[in-house]
Amino acid sequence: MSGPKRLTASGLVSQLTAGSLTAEALTRSCLEQARVGADIKAWAWLDPEQAVAQARAIDRAGRKGRLAGIPVGIKDIIDTAGMPTEHGSPIYRGNRPFADAACVALIRAASGVILGKTVTTEFANRHPGPTVHPHNAAHTPGGSSSGSAAAVADFQVPLALGTQTGGSVIRPAAFCGVIGYKPSFGEFSRVGVKMQCHNLDTLGIICRSLDDVALLRGVLLAQAPHRVDRASAAPRIGFCRTPAWEHADRDTHALLEHTAAVLSSGGAVMQEVTLAPADILDHHRRIFEFEAARNYAYEYETHREKLSPALRDGLLAPGRALPLAAYIEAIETAEAFRANLDGIFADFDVLLAPSAPGEAPKGLGSTGDARFNAIWTLAWTPCLTLPAGNGRSGLPLGIQLVGQRFRDEALLDAAAWVEARLT
Amino acid sequence: MPKIEPYRLAATSLVRLLEGGELTAEAVVQSCLERIAEREPVVRAWSHLAAASALAKAREVGKARQNTLLKGVPFAVKDIFDTADMPTTYGSPIYVGCRPASDASAAALPRAAGGILLGKTVTTEFANRHPGPTTNPHNPDFTPGGSSSGSAAAVADFMVPLAIGTQTGGSVIRPAAYCGVVGFKPSFGLFPPAGMRINTEALDTVGIMARSVGDIALLRAAMLAIPYSAPAAPQTAPRLGLCRGPHWSDAQPEGRAALEAAAERLAAAGATVAETELPPECAEADKWQRILGSFEGLRNHMPELYRHEALLSPRLRDEKVAFGRELTLEAFRAACRGAEKARRAAQDWSSGFDAVLTLPAPGQAPRGLADTGSAMFNGLWTQLYMPCLTLPFGSGPDGLPVGVQLVARRHSDEPLLRVALWVEQRLGEGARQ
Repeated sequence: MSGPKRLTASGLVSQLTAGSLTAEALTRSCLEQARVGADIKAWAWLDPEQAVAQARAIDRAGRKGRLAGIPVGIKDIIDTAGMPTEHGSPIYRGNRPFADAACVALIRAASGVILGKTVTTEFANRHPGPTVHPHNAAHTPGGSSSGSAAAVADFQVPLALGTQTGGSVIRPAAFCGVIGYKPSFGEFSRVGVKMQCHNLDTLGIICRSLDDVALLRGVLLAQAPHRVDRASAAPRIGFCRTPAWEHADRDTHALLEHTAAVLSSGGAVMQEVTLAPADILDHHRRIFEFEAARNYAYEYETHREKLSPALRDGLLAPGRALPLAAYIEAIETAEAFRANLDGIFADFDVLLAPSAPGEAPKGLGSTGDARFNAIWTLAWTPCLTLPAGNGRSGLPLGIQLVGQRFRDEALLDAAAWVEARLT
Repeated sequence: MPKIEPYRLAATSLVRLLEGGELTAEAVVQSCLERIAEREPVVRAWSHLAAASALAKAREVGKARQNTLLKGVPFAVKDIFDTADMPTTYGSPIYVGCRPASDASAAALPRAAGGILLGKTVTTEFANRHPGPTTNPHNPDFTPGGSSSGSAAAVADFMVPLAIGTQTGGSVIRPAAYCGVVGFKPSFGLFPPAGMRINTEALDTVGIMARSVGDIALLRAAMLAIPYSAPAAPQTAPRLGLCRGPHWSDAQPEGRAALEAAAERLAAAGATVAETELPPECAEADKWQRILGSFEGLRNHMPELYRHEALLSPRLRDEKVAFGRELTLEAFRAACRGAEKARRAAQDWSSGFDAVLTLPAPGQAPRGLADTGSAMFNGLWTQLYMPCLTLPFGSGPDGLPVGVQLVARRHSDEPLLRVALWVEQRLGEGARQ
């Protein structure tokens, strides 16, 4: 198996701008791979004609933008003009937004091809969509950005957008063996992204190389892309097992210990870091419940019977019952946690932590456990997951690197140093 | 005693009468619609009026006799919020014909509480500076303020007792003060933003307007989906900080006079009034405000810039968005960090007072409709995420309303409402036009 679809976006851009590859040929290659891999059910909407038409228009215009005709998959909680946006819910079947989300418009303006909409769990929550794991159809791909992770892992598209409120970018990326990136909170525009929790929702990127993270990140920020420094000095790494450590399996424990040892012997300064408060996940949970219960007011009040019981009874009902004072306490605890964490980064460039409890669980009923991600979503820190091995079922495992808030570039550089020592 | 038309009544009074069966929701809606029909040609507060569906809904509410909080009280939402059954234009010609699939939470929650949505009120373009057609209900030659222009004008003109707006700079407090109503901007993040067209996420705050503090408390409970109990004024007189702020020299004489007179009257009524100025960490707040708005603005307006750039107002495109193109990510991050530091300092500073007394606007509304007035007295508090409430007090040289603003420690929204009730009781005389 070969062809342009296997390449990273950054590798493809040079071919596209040099003219040795057309956007149409690349798009057709991706569409063919999506056809072959249709059993993975990564796409909520894929219209080959529409994708090819976009690619042709970009070819005619000379493949000028920074993406030069690269196809991108868009999670289906993100608005697209001209394509349905169904939020993984029957309530929005056939919904056609009036306008693109800001991130989609930024990609179009950079000559990206909006290949299609990737499967999301119901409202980026727990109730799964039909997507299966690209390496083993009996396992979940993770969620909620299920389709984005599976499509990128299966080479159906080199770049995809996801969102994370708990662990919805990092976890599926780790499960599917690709790179996931959640930026510092507040940097990527959320215009046109279905709002779940305004204090947590973070738009993120799923792809197959660190250069691709930098490329798409630059497009989404409308800034020159960061040049990933591959000659940087060994980073100072804080080994952070997190308060959730006991929920990780033996494979993950072994992987993290081994990685810490490898990086340490590679020259990194490695030191253990403990997070406080230990009950920080409870505060994430409160913010999640309180805000989702109010941001999904229309769905809860008007279409309650069309919501999954997991969402309706498991999240929204308890969120409605949560006292305002408990929510405010959680907001203030989260802010103190962020300030404390910011101080920790005086001594470290990045933290090393698990991306998930283990490999993708068997079965499609659950998309897995987000507790190794929710901490960092609440922290507003940039996070990356890198593929770093396999578990007992032969499915991928990831390691997570966490940077200081607003130092995403340093995180990318440190990740390049780490990546070079993992292989 | 002459009969008072329902449209004149406060929401809390309407709830009582609806509950007691002395009024029907249909009669209330009908009364408001008649008032609107009479006054709308001059005030132009509405971008969409859903008369038929509001009446139908009122009849339904009457039949159901459900035990909800708002029990059929009409309300309005700014056209920056999505509505499933009404057009949503964000004050921009680009969105003519836009019909969102769902209601914003700011519409859905009051509706779920038994409120009847009468329609959408005029917003400036994307809740920015380019004005809509709304006039000040006290004098059509003057601006109602903005960006929540229609919400403030409709409440002030007795078209509707309750309305919802948003504030990124001064877009709830300023128009409320210019129109002579009560405006409330809660602590940042408390009212749910889903379905609100984003202006600047680091600053956007959903807020509400009414004609009394009691009505604000009622709508607040609906907006938060929390249990409601009517607030009571504190037994002891509050400790107030009198903060003239960094823009005092730009205030108009009537604004200064109102603030001084309010401080005097409240002190005479027993309040402790201590002069105070903002902590030095807030010194660069205006600069950060501009950077946050423009950095986000360029990216947030990409859907429009990519397809319909020519349909953006020159002011939005050539000032705000153009400045956004010059800004680096580092400048944005520095502004975020600076604002966060200011917030921490303001928490300590404001804990010395039950509320800070300050101006909601430089003075009365400016003449003309081309400009909605200055947000210089508001941006700081928006950025500090502190709850704010403006009360009408006094009037300007053209007979237009002037107000005073109360600001409290972040997350002290409920105490602020209680203090505001105390202040309202003392300023009440002479507060109205």
